[in-house]
Amino acid sequence: MADTEALISLRHVGKSFKDGQVRALQDISFDVHPGEFISLVGPSGCGKTTLLRLINGLIEPDEGDVRVLGKRPQPGPDLAMVFQSARLLPWRTVMGNIEFALALRGLSRKEQSQRALALLGAVGLRDFADAYPHELSGGMQQRVGLARALAVEPKVLLMDEPFAALDAMTREVLRGELLQMWSRRRMAIVFVTHDIDEAILLSQRVILLRPRPGRIDEIIDVDLPEPRWQHDPRTLPAFADMRAHLWGRIHEMARDGAELEELAAAFPDLEPAQMGRQ
Amino acid sequence: MTEMATPPLSRAEPERHPAPPLTDASAAALAARARQRRLRESVTIIGVQLLIALLLLAGMYALNATAGNLTMPHPMAVLNQSIKMWSDGTMLRALGETLTVLSLGFLLAAATGIGLGILLGGFRFAGRIFDPFVNAMNSTPGAAFIPLIIVWFGLYTEAKVVVVWNAAMFPILINTAAGISNANKDLVEMARAFGATRANLFWKVMVPDALPSILSGLRIGAAVSTVGTVIAELTMAQSGLGGLLIAAGNRFQMDRYFAVVIVLMALGTLITALLRYAENRVSRWRLTLADGR
Repeated sequence: MADTEALISLRHVGKSFKDGQVRALQDISFDVHPGEFISLVGPSGCGKTTLLRLINGLIEPDEGDVRVLGKRPQPGPDLAMVFQSARLLPWRTVMGNIEFALALRGLSRKEQSQRALALLGAVGLRDFADAYPHELSGGMQQRVGLARALAVEPKVLLMDEPFAALDAMTREVLRGELLQMWSRRRMAIVFVTHDIDEAILLSQRVILLRPRPGRIDEIIDVDLPEPRWQHDPRTLPAFADMRAHLWGRIHEMARDGAELEELAAAFPDLEPAQMGRQ
Repeated sequence: MTEMATPPLSRAEPERHPAPPLTDASAAALAARARQRRLRESVTIIGVQLLIALLLLAGMYALNATAGNLTMPHPMAVLNQSIKMWSDGTMLRALGETLTVLSLGFLLAAATGIGLGILLGGFRFAGRIFDPFVNAMNSTPGAAFIPLIIVWFGLYTEAKVVVVWNAAMFPILINTAAGISNANKDLVEMARAFGATRANLFWKVMVPDALPSILSGLRIGAAVSTVGTVIAELTMAQSGLGGLLIAAGNRFQMDRYFAVVIVLMALGTLITALLRYAENRVSRWRLTLADGR
């Protein structure tokens, strides 16, 4: 792994909130290589989302160094984010929402609509191009969110529990679709989840975080046969072993006295609107 | 809608007999029934509304018969006065004067209110500085400034426009600022994550998100403008519908007075309806969301 240039590299990253009273992250170091699919797993409150925001450049670390393509990360063309809720602009059509992201990239009107249509085809929503987000189901909305992120052709796709709010069946279908898209496009994916099965199922590497403050507990290589959307690895003994191991670590964290519920409340969402008045 | 002609289903293999798909004919029948139900509903509503109007009219007759012309004019007298005032141009001229003051004041209030609201809502530093002043102005009744406005601007149209502007601007400003500063944080973060510049964030996310709020501000502002116009016409140089109103009232010409009140009622209703229509059109996505359609 060391021979390829890292796409994302974090070195001893730390981040605090509430004027340093709450340590969200401490001494986080890992690399993400081009085309790699990694998952960040851990109990709620271990700073997974904060880590994504740091990589996206929405916030800056207090300590250490975050590098994306060798530079300090800035929200822009190299990165795209998929959120837990689709976060579509309700006053724009499905098509308009994808064009919104493309317009931010400076594409011409014609290119915008061409690429938006192509991406809608890729997620199977071409017939809904002129629908408004509230007319779609949750799964379809999330597909639009995914299409919007893929449309900008990012080198890194950041996904913040994208399937957590969906029903089990839709989730299963979308996981398969995500793996197919990834195998075709091979962008790097950093996938945040609290679902251990999902992390093992999707990713090549699982980074297990422990809370209070958020730090790396263990990094596990997932060596399951590919492509996984064709051969469900969940029946394999290797899958069961990995699952058991990760759950073992998490139970240990709980025994170590981390009161997980309490921690979940300790990290308020960082004020994202610099211009918004209270 | 049950299909009685089909033979009873065998219990062993129910999956072979799925529910019959909605054919075009049955869908049309459903739609027709829904249309009929809606029609019945609106006929009932309009019927009851007519009944209430008739009762009010009957009340006017009764009051006129028992208490005399001064307490309540005879409805026919009101009608006659209306016809007279419309045909000799009195009403039209007054309406013109009123609409001039009203629309100039309202447009000025809308332009300044939305502009300043966007500034104060968008730049929270400025917003925090001006907050107490805006609140103080907003909570002072518009009529309190009339003497000052008379001293500064005189008694005529321009002064009346200032009265209307002063009364209507603050509700518009406050609604706009609130709409912008309460813009959906998730959407703002989304746009930032996709690399939106400050200007893009502002014009493509925060302002559209605030549009429903801005429009409710405009609706309130329009109502306040109507009140402000009439108050200005009553208290400053008498003109327009307000002037007619007070002239008729002072002479106890209650039929004339009522003819003007009816025009004011119609005007206010029309303005509110127009703005509600605009509001529904612009925030259709929010409305359909609420309807669950």
